[in-house]
Amino acid sequence: MMPVVVAAAPVVGLINQPVGVAHYLVVGAIMFVCGIVCMAMKRNALGVLMGIELVLNGANVNFVAFASPYLQGEGSRSLGLDGQVIALFVILLAAAEAAVALAITLNFYNNHATVDVDRADDLKG
Amino acid sequence: MDLSVTLPQLLGLAWLLPLVSFLVILFFGPRMGHHGRNAAWVATGAIGTSLVLSLAAFVSWLGAHPVTAVHHGGDHGAAHAGDHAEASGHAEASGHAAAVEGSHGAGHDAAHHGPVAYSGDWYTLYDGGRLRLSIGWYIDSLTVLMFVVVTFIATCIHVYASGYMHDELHEVTDHEVTLADGHHLHRPGRFPRFFQALSLFCFSMLGIVIAGNLAMVFIFWELVGICSWFLIGFYYERKSASTAANKAFIVNRVGDFGMLIGLMALWGALGTLHFADATAAGPDGRQVTRPGLFSLVRPAATGHALRVPDGMVEFAAADKVAGTPAGEVASRVDTWRAEGFGRWLLFIAGVGIFCGCVGKSAQFPLFVWLPDAMEGPTPVSALVHSATMVAAGVYLVGRFFPVLSPDVLLVIAYTGAITLFIAATIALVANDIKRVLAYSTVSQLGYMMLALGVGGWVAGLFHLVTHAFFKSLLFLCSGSVIHACHTNDMRKMGGLARVMPYTAGTMLVGCLAIIGAGIPFVIGLSGYYSKDSILAQALSFAQANPRHAILFYAVAGGAALTAFYMFRLWFMTFAGEPRDHHVAEHAHESPQVMVMPLVVLAVLAVVAGWTLPGGFGIANLLEQSRPAGTVETATGGCAFGQTLTVPAEYLSHGEPFHSVATWTAFGTALGGVLLAAAMYVWRVISPAAVAALFRPVSTFLANRWYVDELYHALFVVPAHGLAAVASGIDQGLIDPLINFLAWTTRQVAAVDAWIDRTFIDGLVNTTANATWALGLELKKLQTGSLRQYVTFIVAGVVALFVIASIFFREAFAG
Amino acid sequence: MTPETLTQPALWPLSLIVFLPALVAAALSLPLIPRGREELIRWITLATTVVVFVLSLWMAWPSLFGAAGPAQFTVGEAGMQAVVKKPWIPAFGIDYLLGVDGFSMPLVVLTTFLSVLACAASWPITKHVKAYHVLFLLLETGMLGVFVSLDFFLFYVFWEVMLLPMYFLIGIWGGPRREYAAIKFFLYTLLGSVLMLIAVLMLYFTSDLRMLSPEQLTRAHAAIPAAAAAGQPVHTFNLLALAELGQLPNSPFAAARVWGLSVETWAFLLLLIGFVIKVPVVPVHTWLPDAHVEAPTPISMILAGVLLKLGGYGILRICYPICPGAGLALAWLVCGLGVVSMVYGAFAALAQKDFKRMVAYSSVSHMGYVMLGLGVWSAVAGSGFNPDYWAQGVNGAMFQMLAHGISSAGMFFMVGVLYDRVHHRNLEEFGGIFNRMPVYAGLAVAIFFAGLGLPGLCGFIGEVLVTLSSWNYSRVLAAVSAFTVILTAAYILWAIQRVYLGPEYKGPHGDHLTPMTGRELAIAAPLVFLAILFGVAPQLIFNYVTPTVNRQVQTLADWTRDVGTKSTPPVAGAAASGDLTFLGGETSAP
Repeated sequence: MMPVVVAAAPVVGLINQPVGVAHYLVVGAIMFVCGIVCMAMKRNALGVLMGIELVLNGANVNFVAFASPYLQGEGSRSLGLDGQVIALFVILLAAAEAAVALAITLNFYNNHATVDVDRADDLKG
Repeated sequence: MDLSVTLPQLLGLAWLLPLVSFLVILFFGPRMGHHGRNAAWVATGAIGTSLVLSLAAFVSWLGAHPVTAVHHGGDHGAAHAGDHAEASGHAEASGHAAAVEGSHGAGHDAAHHGPVAYSGDWYTLYDGGRLRLSIGWYIDSLTVLMFVVVTFIATCIHVYASGYMHDELHEVTDHEVTLADGHHLHRPGRFPRFFQALSLFCFSMLGIVIAGNLAMVFIFWELVGICSWFLIGFYYERKSASTAANKAFIVNRVGDFGMLIGLMALWGALGTLHFADATAAGPDGRQVTRPGLFSLVRPAATGHALRVPDGMVEFAAADKVAGTPAGEVASRVDTWRAEGFGRWLLFIAGVGIFCGCVGKSAQFPLFVWLPDAMEGPTPVSALVHSATMVAAGVYLVGRFFPVLSPDVLLVIAYTGAITLFIAATIALVANDIKRVLAYSTVSQLGYMMLALGVGGWVAGLFHLVTHAFFKSLLFLCSGSVIHACHTNDMRKMGGLARVMPYTAGTMLVGCLAIIGAGIPFVIGLSGYYSKDSILAQALSFAQANPRHAILFYAVAGGAALTAFYMFRLWFMTFAGEPRDHHVAEHAHESPQVMVMPLVVLAVLAVVAGWTLPGGFGIANLLEQSRPAGTVETATGGCAFGQTLTVPAEYLSHGEPFHSVATWTAFGTALGGVLLAAAMYVWRVISPAAVAALFRPVSTFLANRWYVDELYHALFVVPAHGLAAVASGIDQGLIDPLINFLAWTTRQVAAVDAWIDRTFIDGLVNTTANATWALGLELKKLQTGSLRQYVTFIVAGVVALFVIASIFFREAFAG
Repeated sequence: MTPETLTQPALWPLSLIVFLPALVAAALSLPLIPRGREELIRWITLATTVVVFVLSLWMAWPSLFGAAGPAQFTVGEAGMQAVVKKPWIPAFGIDYLLGVDGFSMPLVVLTTFLSVLACAASWPITKHVKAYHVLFLLLETGMLGVFVSLDFFLFYVFWEVMLLPMYFLIGIWGGPRREYAAIKFFLYTLLGSVLMLIAVLMLYFTSDLRMLSPEQLTRAHAAIPAAAAAGQPVHTFNLLALAELGQLPNSPFAAARVWGLSVETWAFLLLLIGFVIKVPVVPVHTWLPDAHVEAPTPISMILAGVLLKLGGYGILRICYPICPGAGLALAWLVCGLGVVSMVYGAFAALAQKDFKRMVAYSSVSHMGYVMLGLGVWSAVAGSGFNPDYWAQGVNGAMFQMLAHGISSAGMFFMVGVLYDRVHHRNLEEFGGIFNRMPVYAGLAVAIFFAGLGLPGLCGFIGEVLVTLSSWNYSRVLAAVSAFTVILTAAYILWAIQRVYLGPEYKGPHGDHLTPMTGRELAIAAPLVFLAILFGVAPQLIFNYVTPTVNRQVQTLADWTRDVGTKSTPPVAGAAASGDLTFLGGETSAP
């Protein structure tokens, strides 16, 4: 991959292209970055959780995008559903993770009467 | 009757009986009647039986070897020419072969025969093949005579002591001991213990007399020493008594030191200490006769003339022996002997043995213990410290006489002369009645030594026997006086003859005997004969060796001094008026049991020197045992670089010696007695004035020549000093050294520990500390803030990408 | 295996004598006996020592128990008897090799006998009773083991086994300065052991069994293992074999050299230092007074009665037979040390204020006689190689060891009896004991007279034999040793005067001076009885000792004639001949 600044031009040029894998990737990247930013900026624990969901889903978009048949090489022995399968796993994982995270958050709330992650510095060394 | 069997049996039994008595009293003493009263009976019975046995032996000896007169001059050999069957106990059963071989015309045959003697071994202490130490007997007329004398006097003294010691039968208050609380000591009586020690002493003393070899002599020598220790220290609560006992033993040990050297010189070179030839089973089972000391030093081959034995020559010439083939050593011995090898060894042997006698017989310079020994009860002084034990030294010199070379004899003579003079001078001024007698004993022992040293073998031993009788008599009399007066100080006595007639009379007999009183050429008391023969022999010796004439003057001067101090003693005690009424009032004659022995001994003090018409007499009896080779005048080289003539003793019995000696003795004795009478009876001369006139001398004498002080400064103090040094080296040198080594080790260990702590531990600790500090720093990154983490993750990922894209450009590109 | 090792009748008796105390000690150390039953422990220990004593007596004196069995000791035979041999560490040729002869048998009996008495004397000990008795029994095993082992390695092991219990016995049950004394004892002795270990290894690695003839091998109870590699030397720890090697004309110990001196000389010196520390001789004696003063009475008895003898025994058994060349060359050293100890010890004893310390110094003085007697190598060319006087000296030394075992143990016990009552030992603060405790004082004076060397008591024979024999070795040493008799009389009589004589007791606790108890009497009486018995009938001991002594001395005298004077090492020659000219040559006589 090229450095971000250098890659800006082709990204802009995508607008004129028919929708292909690259577009999906751009959408996934935007979701990912949005999720990261959300995680880093939100003080509300639920907001952070949402950021996580965004990151995971951005990644899912990428998986599915890379599963495109166009990218399959000749003589591939896979069913061509690898991306989709992994995306399903991630969704499952996200659900489980959300459940655990919500439980933690709830517990945290019970103990501290807040969901402000900045108040949660118990892990401070 | 076979004397070679019966004599050892009789005398052996007589020797062992006192030991039995000792053991019986040791175990059952306190249970013998009230306070052990019967112990006296046991002890007296034992020694009395010994006396009977000794007399039996004496009679059987006389039966086999009749004593005949010794003809002076050419025919002197008769009495001692007897059978030369030197019968050893087991070998020659027919040892008695008693017939006296007639008198020999020329008489010199006697020189070629040994005297009659029986010897043998009872018991072996150490058997090292050729080297053997044993307990055995050597019996000649001297032995038999000494047995009779010792057991007789001992019996008298046992009887006397059973009266004298009766205080010990009940609780005793010792007025000489004051306890810390100011009271006098009360203690139970020790009657049995006294007789127990006395019995042991008799056993030991008889052991010396019968001893068949020097090792046995040495054994019993030490035993009489320890008996003496017990008896001197009988009143052991008194510091003076226990100190005197220790002094006696230690001073005797000084003599024994010399004696040991003499024993070593003999043993190392000759390998035997037996007097006579000994027969024993050899390694192959056959009977082997090994020559004893007498025949080694005076072999029959030389006509019993003194010769340095082969063993001593070879020993002294060890370097030459080492360089000589084994087969040729024997043939070269005579050459080496002629070169003088071994003579010093013989001299050392003789002087060494004599050293022991010096200690035991209280000769100069070791006489200091005897006066102190008077701390013991008086019967002990009479038996042990006058008649028997102290005479053992003289006896040993007489017994050992054949081995003594002329130079040793000269040493002996001078020692005797010095002793008799010093002791007599001290006796002049002593005021303690027992000390006067003690110094008189020392002086008389000096006489005997001198007599032996100038070749008067019979004279010396004759005087030993007569002295034993009159000196024990004198001591017992003094005991009787002390018993009556409860003091030893003559200045508090006087006029006692009236209340104690028996004691005074018997003591007068004793005094007359010791000064040799008699009617010249007619008759005299026992001392008259023995002292005259000593004077005559000394005169004979002085004529033969003019440079040693002083020996005669010593004897003559000593005789005058003896007469003076003995009669001073008698006059101060018995004559005149009482000086201390308190003492005089309490004085009384002693009980019968004490007076009886005095009378018996007084009779003997008179008659012991007489020769019966048939020739029977102590002097002639002793002649039978005269060592082979000492009959004739002997001239020999002396270690002191001059020739020395030891004149034959029979010569002194003839004129002019006999008359000169008799008149000298008479004159000196009379002079001494008259002077004493003038000072203490007629009071013509004031003793105090004389003492004042010669103040330095009298002070010097009253302080006993300062000998005790001198020895204290010369020996006792340095010995304690050396002891302190030795102990000090241990505590001040060796121990500190050891402790210093230990301390040094600990210091090294400390340095080592410091290095460990500082450097090695330090490195480890520094590492740990650095890690710890780093951890502390890193901890700060761990904020616990979730959002920061996310930021870090992002930043980290981005940074990773940046780094990866810079450094791994190719891979990404590909 | 040589034939006689197949049947070993003495295997069990001898092993039992040595190890029974250790076994009982092990049993005692198990928690079988409840607390508060100290009396039982004492009785068990006493019974053990008695059993061991009876066993040793059974071996040593067969006629006392009827017909002699094959495992018992034949009196009058010189050689090694009742030999037990089992391989122990075959890789290094170390055997479990035991045996007794005229040297060791009397010492074994002395050890077992004194152990019984010392055990009886331990009754007043109340502190850690069990530990005390366990250590005591271990000590007995160690001592007996040293006397009977014929394998140098085994000897060394027992030597060390003995050391540790002694350290604790002094260090725990001793007096006020016990720790100092115990450490001093331990360090001194350890130094000796270390030097000995060096010598052991030197001799081992220089030895070669192949140099011995088959007869010599049989005589030494040694064998060349079948597995021995050809061409390789066969090393051995067997003391008898080492002695045979050492006396060979081409002795490997004389040939091999280390720093210019032969292995023989090194080994002799190292062993000698090890042994004389134990004897002890001046100047390595200062552990003795401290150890004695601090040790409890029974341990003092053992220390003086047995431990000191180990040094003399070691010199006799090991130094001289294995290193005869060095022995001949350095005889002056052994004799000189002996005489110096004699005089120095006597002087030091004279200066002591402490009763026990005085007795300790008397031990130094008396053991000097042992050294002198062992050293008198008088069979030389000048005497026609006559070994009689030398044999007499060694006999005297052996007798002196046994006699001193009795008299010194007795003296220490007698001091202990007083100390138990009045708790002080200051010589100046006694007096009057004769009137207070007559029986005790009588026995004590008898024992002290035995120490004084009075005829009729055991001290006399040894001293006289040694002194008389020394004249033929050196006149000067003989005269000095004779001089010691004066000092001995002085310090002993002076002590007797201060303690037993006098009108009244001057020290503290006078009311505690009660008469001897039955137990004390039962300990003291046998010692006094033996002191008299051996003084009157010394042949009881000589019957055992003399054949072996004579054989060894004759062997070494023959060696001197055949080998020693021909190939004397350079150091040796000067020393030996130089010494003989002390006074002997009368070359200047007219």
